[in-house]
Amino acid sequence: MIRDITLGQYIPGKSFIHRLDPRVKIIITFVYIVFIFVASNFEGLLTMSVLILGILLLSGVPLSQYFKSLKAILFVVIFTSVLNLFYGSGNVLWSWGGIQITSGGVANAVFVTIRIISLILFSSVLTFTTSPTELTDALERIMKPLKLLHVKVHEIAMMMTIALRFVPTLLEETDKIMSAQKARGADMESGGLMQRIRALIPILIPLFVSSFRRAYDLAMAMECRCYHGGEGRTKMKVLHATSLDAVAVVVSMVVCAAVVACNLYFPAVLH
Amino acid sequence: MDYINAENITFSYDEPEAAERHEVLRGVSLGIRKGEFVALLGHNGSGKSTIAKTFNAMLLPSGGKVYVDKMDTQDESVLYEIRRRVGLVLQNPDNQLVASVVEEDVAFGPENLGIPPEEIRRRVDEALKAVEMYDFRLNAPYKLSGGQKQRIAIAGIIAMQPDCIVLDEPTAMLDPRGRTEVLDTLHKLNREKGITIVLITHYMDEAVQAGRVIVMDSGRILTEGSPQEVFSQVELLKKHQLDVPQVTELAYRLKAVGFDLPGCPLTIEECVAALEPLLKKATVGEAYGDH
Amino acid sequence: MAIIETKNLTYTYGQGTPFQKTAVENINIAIKQGEFIGVIGHTGSGKSTLIQQLNGLLRPTSGTVLLNGKDIWEDPKKIRSVRFKVGMVFQYPEHQLFEETVLKDIAFGPGNMGLGKDEILKRARAAAEFVGLKEELLEKSPFELSGGEKRRVAIAGVIAMDPDVLILDEPTAGLDPRGRDVLLSQIVTYHKTRHNTILLVSHSMEDIARTADRVLVMNAGHAAMFDTTENVFACDRELEKMGLRVPQITKIMAVLKAKGYPVGTALTVEQALKELIPLLGKGNRNHD
Repeated sequence: MIRDITLGQYIPGKSFIHRLDPRVKIIITFVYIVFIFVASNFEGLLTMSVLILGILLLSGVPLSQYFKSLKAILFVVIFTSVLNLFYGSGNVLWSWGGIQITSGGVANAVFVTIRIISLILFSSVLTFTTSPTELTDALERIMKPLKLLHVKVHEIAMMMTIALRFVPTLLEETDKIMSAQKARGADMESGGLMQRIRALIPILIPLFVSSFRRAYDLAMAMECRCYHGGEGRTKMKVLHATSLDAVAVVVSMVVCAAVVACNLYFPAVLH
Repeated sequence: MDYINAENITFSYDEPEAAERHEVLRGVSLGIRKGEFVALLGHNGSGKSTIAKTFNAMLLPSGGKVYVDKMDTQDESVLYEIRRRVGLVLQNPDNQLVASVVEEDVAFGPENLGIPPEEIRRRVDEALKAVEMYDFRLNAPYKLSGGQKQRIAIAGIIAMQPDCIVLDEPTAMLDPRGRTEVLDTLHKLNREKGITIVLITHYMDEAVQAGRVIVMDSGRILTEGSPQEVFSQVELLKKHQLDVPQVTELAYRLKAVGFDLPGCPLTIEECVAALEPLLKKATVGEAYGDH
Repeated sequence: MAIIETKNLTYTYGQGTPFQKTAVENINIAIKQGEFIGVIGHTGSGKSTLIQQLNGLLRPTSGTVLLNGKDIWEDPKKIRSVRFKVGMVFQYPEHQLFEETVLKDIAFGPGNMGLGKDEILKRARAAAEFVGLKEELLEKSPFELSGGEKRRVAIAGVIAMDPDVLILDEPTAGLDPRGRDVLLSQIVTYHKTRHNTILLVSHSMEDIARTADRVLVMNAGHAAMFDTTENVFACDRELEKMGLRVPQITKIMAVLKAKGYPVGTALTVEQALKELIPLLGKGNRNHD
C-alpha cells in the first residue's frame, strides 16, 4: 500500500549524535561526503569507514535500519562494482574471450563499493538522527547569508516544512481516491502504457483539486495565526552549539587531515 | 460595549457569471460578551461562516463595522492585535496544522508574534496540557485521530493567549467520540480560563450546551436567546428545516395535543422530569380506577 | 438465499510485519435481498475494513465473502464485475469527482462496465434524477456546484452502475440538517423503488433508527450484534459500553420503563407519541 512509504525516516533518540546541533551535522555530513571522494587509497578510505562505523554505533539507531537503507540501493552497488571489475590493470586473474579481470579491477571494485556504502550510511545517519523540522530549520539558518543575494531563505524553508507535513496526508488521500475510483470500476491494472496513463486521470485530477483546497485552507489557518513571513519571527527551539559539537568538529578535522596525509604518503587506487 | 461588536454588517461578493451581487450578510448586528459561550446555527449559505471570519478580520464587511475589544477590524495597524485576541479554528483538522511535530505546530502562532523562545516553550506546554494532548507533543499530527488533531489546532490558538476562540464547524468531520473530546475541551477552556467561545455548528446537541444560541438564515439573524428560548420555537425552526432535539420535539408535540408540560426540556433528564408528574397522575388514576 | 454472506471473515493489516493488526475477525453475517441494513460502531471498530471486503476492494486474509452464494474471489480476474454489483459510496465521495461535466462524471462507472453509449447516458440521467439533480446542472462542471450537490453527483455515479447492493459510508457526514434530511429521504425512496439491498454506515443513531430494518453493531473487530433495529436499540446499556448511544427518544422510553411506567419502546418521535398519548390521556389533558 502507498501509505507504507515513509519519507524523512527520522528515528527519535537521545544519543550523542541525536543531540548534535543539526547545523553542525549537516556541515560535517557535507564535508565527509566530499572527503569520501577525496580519499584516493584504501588507507584513507578505511580511516573514514572506521569513523562511520563508530558513528553508526554511537547513533543508537538499530543497525537493521541501516541495512534496510543499504538494501534499497543494493542494485546500484552491485552494478557499479561489477562494472569496475573489468577496468584497471595488474595481474590477470581470469579471462574469457576478450574480457579479463585483473587484480587492479578487483581493487577498483572493492574501493568503489566501500565508497558507495560509506556514502549511503553517512546520509542515513543524518536523516535517521535529525527530525525533518530540525533539518529545514538548520538549512534555513545555514543559508541565511544567501539573503544578501535576495534568496527567499525563510520562504524556502517554510515550503519544505509544509511539504514534509503534507506528504503523508496526500499519500493517504491518494489511497482513498484510488479505492473510490476502483469501486466505480476503474481498471488500473491492465492495458498498454497509454491506457494506464489515461487511467491515472481520475486519480490525479481529484488529487490536484484537493491539494488546492488544502492549500487554501492552510493559508487561511496560517494567516489566522498571525503569519506574516519571516520578518520579526522567533523560534521556540534555539539552536546552539555545545561542547559536544566542538568534539565532533575536532574529530572530523583530525579524520580529514588523516585522509589528506594518506593521499600524500600512499599511492592512489583509481586512475 | 461588548467584546465583539458587529454593527449592521453586510457582506457580498461578485459572482463571475451572475448579473447581480451575491449577498451573504444582509445587515447583521450582534454582540459577543467576554466569557460567553455562544453557538451559531444555520444552514450552509446562511452567512454564519462569513460572519465568523469578520470577527478576526479575515474578511472585512462590505458595509457596517466590526469592533473587537474596541478596535476597528478595518484598521490595518491593529490587524495582528485582533488576530491574536480572536483565534479561528476551521472545519478540516488536517488542513490547519503546519508542522510535522505536534509541539512545533503549537509554537507556530507565538513564533509569528515574535515571542522569546523560553516563553514560547512555556506557553506551548501549557496549551498542550489545557487540551490534554501534552503526552502527544512529539507525535506526528497525521497519526492522530480527528478529535486529537482538532484539539492540537485549538492548542495552537491558545498558545497565542487569545480572549476568544471562534470555531467554524470544528466537529463536522469528527466521529461522536472526537466531537465529545472537542466539546469538553471548549467548555473547560470557557469555564477555567474564561475564554470566550463562538461555536458554529450543525449539531443541536452541541448548541443545547451553549449559554446563548444565535440562529442565522439567509444572511440575517432568525432568532437568538438562551437554548430554552430558541428551541421552544419548534415551529419556526422546523419551518426553516433546522433540527430540534428529539426530547424538545416530543414535549412540544405533547403540548400541542393538550398536555400540560412545564418548560422546554432540552435533555433526557429534563424531559423525564417533565413527564413524570403526568405519568404518575395517569398511572395512579388508573390504579384507583378513577377516569 | 442471502444476497451477501460472510463466512469466518478475517482481515489482518500488515501481516507478517511488527505492525500486524487484525481489524476484522471471524465475521459471519447474512443479508437478504431487499434489506436495509444499518451499520454502527465507533472509529476503529472495523466497519470500514468489513465493508471494503464486501465489494472486493480488500481481499480477506481468511474466510470468504459470498455474493449470491458464490465466492467473490473465486476468480480474482473478475473482481471488477463484483464491484459493479456491490456499489460503494465512500465518505466524502465528492472528493472523487474529476470529469468535465456532471453527466460525464456520473457516466464514469457505467462506462467502465462496457455498456453501449445510449445505455450509459440513460443510466446516468436516471441516476441524476434519483438524487434530485436538476437537468440544467448536468452540463456544468462538477467543481462549480455546492457541497451538497457535489455529494449527490458522487452518489449518482455509483447508483448509475445499478448495483444490487449499495453500501453508503456516512453519506450525510458534514452536510447541514436540510441537506442531510433530503439526502436520507432520497436514499429511502431509491430503496423503495429499486428494491435493492442497502448498507448504511452512520454515526447518527437517529438516522439509523429512521431507516434500517436490521442493525449490525461492530465492536473491536467483531460483529457484536446483528438484529432488528428495535432489538438492537433496546440494548442501550450494552451499546453504551461500546461507546455508542441509542437515539434520544429511545433512551427516554427506556428510562421511563426502568422507572416502572408501562411504556413500550420507540425509535422515532411518532412512535413515542403513540405510546405516550393514550397513557397520559387519562386525566391530563387541558381540554378534558
